[in-house]
Amino acid sequence: MSIAVSRALCRVLSRQAAVPTNVSSLMGVDGHVSQGPWFASVLTLKTSAPLRAEPKKKKKVDPRREQMVRERLKKKLKKLERVPPELIPIEDFTTPAKYMDETRVRGAPQLPFEESERRALLLKEWSRYKQTQHRAEMEAVGLAVEAQREALEELRLESEELYQAALRPDPLLFPFNHQGPSYTPPKAQYEAPEGKYNNITKVYTQ
Amino acid sequence: MAAPCSRMASRPLWQFITNVRRTGLKHTGVRQFSLSYACRAATQTSSKTESVASPWKLYGAVCLQRLPVISQERNPIEDQFAELMHQMELERSLLSEHEQRLLEDAERMTRKQADNYDSDEEEADYGGQETITAQDQDDTWEQNLKHFQPALRDRDVGGTPLGSVERCLGDSLVLLVQQTVAKENIWLLPQAPWEAGETLRQTAERVLSSLPEADFKATFLGNTPCGVYRYKFPKDVRTESCVGAKVFFFKALLSAGSASQKEPFLWVKKTDLQGYLKPSYLEKVDRFILNL
Repeated sequence: MSIAVSRALCRVLSRQAAVPTNVSSLMGVDGHVSQGPWFASVLTLKTSAPLRAEPKKKKKVDPRREQMVRERLKKKLKKLERVPPELIPIEDFTTPAKYMDETRVRGAPQLPFEESERRALLLKEWSRYKQTQHRAEMEAVGLAVEAQREALEELRLESEELYQAALRPDPLLFPFNHQGPSYTPPKAQYEAPEGKYNNITKVYTQ
Repeated sequence: MAAPCSRMASRPLWQFITNVRRTGLKHTGVRQFSLSYACRAATQTSSKTESVASPWKLYGAVCLQRLPVISQERNPIEDQFAELMHQMELERSLLSEHEQRLLEDAERMTRKQADNYDSDEEEADYGGQETITAQDQDDTWEQNLKHFQPALRDRDVGGTPLGSVERCLGDSLVLLVQQTVAKENIWLLPQAPWEAGETLRQTAERVLSSLPEADFKATFLGNTPCGVYRYKFPKDVRTESCVGAKVFFFKALLSAGSASQKEPFLWVKKTDLQGYLKPSYLEKVDRFILNL
């Protein structure tokens, strides 16, 4: 394509060169068609046009075109990236299909009236028991807090320095770990048997 | 300084009123006097900053608790409710795979024992493999469980001594020590006089480490005292500079430790404290020892 363009350019230039030569030939004193200096340069242009013109075109058009192509690709990539990442499914929220099977249903027993009554009354009694327990706990905690407040008051009356030292938080306290009560007390020098297990949890990556 | 001073002056009065209502006018005389004295002491200390030494001697004490190791026995109502919950959960649940296997095996057994049993058909279905029935698995698991002997829940049947940490595993225990205070040998929470240059919590830690023939590793819960016990010396000992003593208690949880089985130590439940501590002391101490 570039060669054709250069050829066209050549033709244009030669045409342009030809016009003044005609004029000069008409006007010229010599009488013969003299090849003016400009025409000569055009001729030289003819031979060296492909050499001179193409590098110039490469500088302007090709880098621009390549840049355009690259920009278009980048824009496409950005559009693809803008899609939000797929959410990791929470496996606890979806009931697996095998639990929807009907053969799994246990026969719902028909409760006699006395049984259902007994259950209702037991539930009510339990709520009452828990209420008293909760009230007792709240009271106990309230007393403990009151005792602490009194202690701090007395300490303040004693010395301000000790009071400030008491108010400072203890950085070594947290993280606080304590093994809670179990059903049976721990056995002295008991070695738990080594167990093998296969971990089949699915790990999702975004 | 005027505003807080007036607040401090008025608060003891308000406390006195509420305490009177609560304690029922038992220690009114002593408390009134001590409160007014404290009020005057407060005004004195506030007006002359730190120039007047307080007339109260300071003591730091530690309330060391061993938290329960095993769960408590259930009440009858808790028992009934637990049973009910278990039943209801069972009714509302679906069959597990193990149970399904059990049912299938039972069905297969009945089919085998039936008259028109076609063994070829059965074996075509199951590929003629020797399968372990679910019932067999159940039995092997039960055998394995029987091999394991857990530790006994109640060891008190043997009568563990009162000084042992192992007694009453289901309740939280408090450490009591016998000390001579005012020429009397009494049971109280371990305490020691405060020395200048240390915080009260350090006093409490010192108390714990200085207990004879015992190494208790404890975690102290914070820098703040959880309670205070204030008492005045008897009139003959009282002087201008020391009217009485204030004991500040700090809570600590026992993490590890052992002690000799000698007399000075006692691990006591909250309900049994009454038999060992003095009534006014017990009144203050009972509040912050939680039995939860």
